[in-house]
Amino acid sequence: MKILCDRSVLLEGVNVVSSVVPAKTTKPILQNLLLHAKDDDGGGITLFATDLEMAARVDIESVKVQKPGTALLPGRELSALLREIGDPTVTLASTDQRCKIESQGGSFVLLGEDVEQYPDEFELAAGKRVEVPCGSMLRMVQETVFAAAREETRYAINGVMIDCGSSCMRLVATDGRRLSVSYQNIDSAEEFKVVVPLRALNTLARALPEDDDTPLAIQVGDKQISFTNGKMQLVSQLLDTRFPDYEGVVPKSADTTVEIDRVTLEGALRRASILAASEMRMVRFEVHESSLNLTAESSARGRADVTIDAVVKGAGGSINFNPDYILEALRVCDLEQVRLDMSDDSMPAKFTLGESFTYVVMPISGA
Amino acid sequence: MIKKLPVAVVNQIAAGEVVERPSSVVKELVENSIDAGSKSVRVEIAAGGAELIRIIDDGHGFLPEDLPLAFASHATSKLSDVHDLDHIASLGFRGEALASIGAVSRASIRSRRHDADEGWEVRTDGGKESKPAPCGCPVGTTIEIRDLFYNVPARRKFLKTPGAEKARVQETLAELSLARLDVGFTFVADGKEILRLPADASLAERFTRCFGQRLGKGLIPVARKFSHMSVEGIVGEPDLARRDSKLELCYINGRLAREKSAFHAIRQAYREYLMGGRFPIYVLQVSLPPDQVDVNIHPRKAEVRFVDSRAVAGCLHETVRSALGDRGLVQSAGGVVIDPNLPRAKSGFPTAPLPAGLFGDGAATPPAGSPRAFAADPVETVVRDRGAEALAGGDEARPRAGAALGPAGDDADANVRRNPFEHGPQRFLQIMDLYLLLEGPDGLMVVDQHALHERVMYERLQREHASQAVAIQRLVTPAVVEVAPTELDWLQRARESLASAGLLVDQMGPNTVGVHGVPAVLHRVDPEKLVRMLLEGEPGEGRAKVNEQIHEKFHSMACRSAIMSGDRLTQPEIEALLAEAATLEHPHNCPHGRPTVLTFNSAELERYFRRRC
Repeated sequence: MKILCDRSVLLEGVNVVSSVVPAKTTKPILQNLLLHAKDDDGGGITLFATDLEMAARVDIESVKVQKPGTALLPGRELSALLREIGDPTVTLASTDQRCKIESQGGSFVLLGEDVEQYPDEFELAAGKRVEVPCGSMLRMVQETVFAAAREETRYAINGVMIDCGSSCMRLVATDGRRLSVSYQNIDSAEEFKVVVPLRALNTLARALPEDDDTPLAIQVGDKQISFTNGKMQLVSQLLDTRFPDYEGVVPKSADTTVEIDRVTLEGALRRASILAASEMRMVRFEVHESSLNLTAESSARGRADVTIDAVVKGAGGSINFNPDYILEALRVCDLEQVRLDMSDDSMPAKFTLGESFTYVVMPISGA
Repeated sequence: MIKKLPVAVVNQIAAGEVVERPSSVVKELVENSIDAGSKSVRVEIAAGGAELIRIIDDGHGFLPEDLPLAFASHATSKLSDVHDLDHIASLGFRGEALASIGAVSRASIRSRRHDADEGWEVRTDGGKESKPAPCGCPVGTTIEIRDLFYNVPARRKFLKTPGAEKARVQETLAELSLARLDVGFTFVADGKEILRLPADASLAERFTRCFGQRLGKGLIPVARKFSHMSVEGIVGEPDLARRDSKLELCYINGRLAREKSAFHAIRQAYREYLMGGRFPIYVLQVSLPPDQVDVNIHPRKAEVRFVDSRAVAGCLHETVRSALGDRGLVQSAGGVVIDPNLPRAKSGFPTAPLPAGLFGDGAATPPAGSPRAFAADPVETVVRDRGAEALAGGDEARPRAGAALGPAGDDADANVRRNPFEHGPQRFLQIMDLYLLLEGPDGLMVVDQHALHERVMYERLQREHASQAVAIQRLVTPAVVEVAPTELDWLQRARESLASAGLLVDQMGPNTVGVHGVPAVLHRVDPEKLVRMLLEGEPGEGRAKVNEQIHEKFHSMACRSAIMSGDRLTQPEIEALLAEAATLEHPHNCPHGRPTVLTFNSAELERYFRRRC
């Protein structure tokens, strides 16, 4: 196999695919990625990698194939090399599981492994199919993944639910303390509810272009889901878990509604949270007639008291939150005015952070 | 076809419950001797007890007319009707021991009462008794058991080697003897005297005779009186801890008892001082009204049950915790605990915080449903420091454990505790970027900078946490945890107590609970895992168990934020560390139980340099 291609285009593809390559594995062959140079007249290459739970494939057309063939290459090293080499174009030539990379920056040999030993692509049994614009999908993923449970927490919600129905697709994520819902109307009558591993969505987000209206096809089988746009396909196993009933969690009414400028809130909350105790993160929100007062206290470090303007409807009152939960959400919010609907400190509070982005945070209460 | 078993077979079966091995025979018979008011008990065995067990006492002996009933089942002189069971003061009462032993051996009893001119003898051979006959013998009772299990080959087969059985007998006798310091004991095996325990010794003295001089050096005497119970005894220094729990001896009204909640409470008090897998040593004698404890739940009476086990556990915890906190002992380099002979600082120390609830775990409000009956009552705290005097030879400088820190803690002088860093600016040197060498009042102190700083950070976190109100992170949806019926029962009983520590748990289904909120400090911990961790181990008080988990978290936070080995420190940094160490509540160990400081005192240094032999 021998190819000549644009370095940055190749690097972009390798980065998407190599994010599937597991950092640790007992099956070393999985630390490689597969490069297949096609022999048909259009040319082009396909990159593929899998960790047996998910798989990513990227097609790159603008590649000159001088000699078709297939090679298995160490994923992490390939992507690091392509990042370090300054050349606009690179040549990859492989024979007998040895791949030579020639460039101005030096010549390198990557030792591959036997292509025959590498797992095949997943076969996705035909299932339900919907389409959603790539940009919208990217937005929904970004607005939810941060709220999903990470290490140390319940396996059950270590993923994001995709809930499709009544011409609407919703992504929902929760770690038990907060819950994020983001949705998009779509033109389809399909209905399904599946839980997708966090890792798959993070990889997907890396592969999706921003503000792009090209359609992303989502196919859902019994145990797998695939995301496909023109050049890329990502297949992942689904998580076989029960997801909490999120609709029951989002409060329908509230005693108090507060509207705040997002940038002001984020700044104020950042300042206040500096003095929240390190072992117990807590900021008190006190709603006054036309202002919101944030206070935090650490018995060892001091006290913060920040007041910002707000449009308040309702009774007012006070409620405590872990500030990190709110800051994480504000980071992916681009609305100018955000809205907080709250009741008492045992009831969920709702933040409206976008036209189709709702965020529920559970407060911290006294014993 | 159902048949009624002959009496001999019934007794053999019953023997299985009471008489397992020679040591259980010795236990039953020595208890009888003690109940008979003996002042001296001699135990002789041969071949580990399989061949011969002979118990000679000087108790009041059998009435001749009672001898025919001696080997009969459920025949006893210790109680007569069912109401007596409510206030048992004797060790035995079931009337089964002699019958069971007689059924599986060739036994004889010779007994003479103080006022009688002659003794009487009765024999049994596998349950077939002889008629009592007069004989010559000294005042008291001599019981001989020969050929134990000769007619129960299955059981005889399971006897261990004579050496192992002998060790078991010795252990049993030692355990019994610690409960009755007024009785003298002698143990002879195969003609050799193994133990001689004179009557009216102090507990520490007897303990040392039973278990060796090495352990005798690190015993802290305790004596506490609570409103309805009292605790007295000795607790061992943490560095005497063993890999097994054999020397965790807790006596309830004179009877050695294994009671889970009591064990757990005492181990909790030791927790900060011990490394994992280590068990403390202690001998504690608990006295409480007989109607507050049920001893009739186990054939060998190895278990007891308390009417209010939480209160008993609380008092035990408090007794041991304050004794360990007050000890003025510095861990010495040789593993020997040095008896400090130093002027005691009068002030400049934070007084101990009031224990909140029985477990004193820092937070400000007492747990809901805290026991009333036995609540520690400072007014009644009485110092009975017999043991301390015996141990320290009347040395006034020795801190009087038990005297200090009544829960009210109003006596400033009693609150003064020894802290090896209390003596202010010292000369010091950092070596290997890890150890600090200090000139302490006792001699050379070697400090592990990481361990000490870890302790400093840990106590800081604890103080900060204690100053804050309990906060609960509510959950979006309850985390569902599947539990066993006994676990469910505990969770329901502990519900209020758990909530006061910030964990909201409610029953959901027949075998599930839902977690609605977790302590905000533990907001990152998986709620299900948290509940599972609480259900592990001994069932204790809910609030205390949650706080254990919180302290666990503080341990790891402290460890991460502490200076490491390899960090070079400047003079002012070392000074600051030592200054803060002087204010520590428990300066001797890091939160994981490793020592923070070793002391080579001048006597030891002199020995090393052969200035003194």
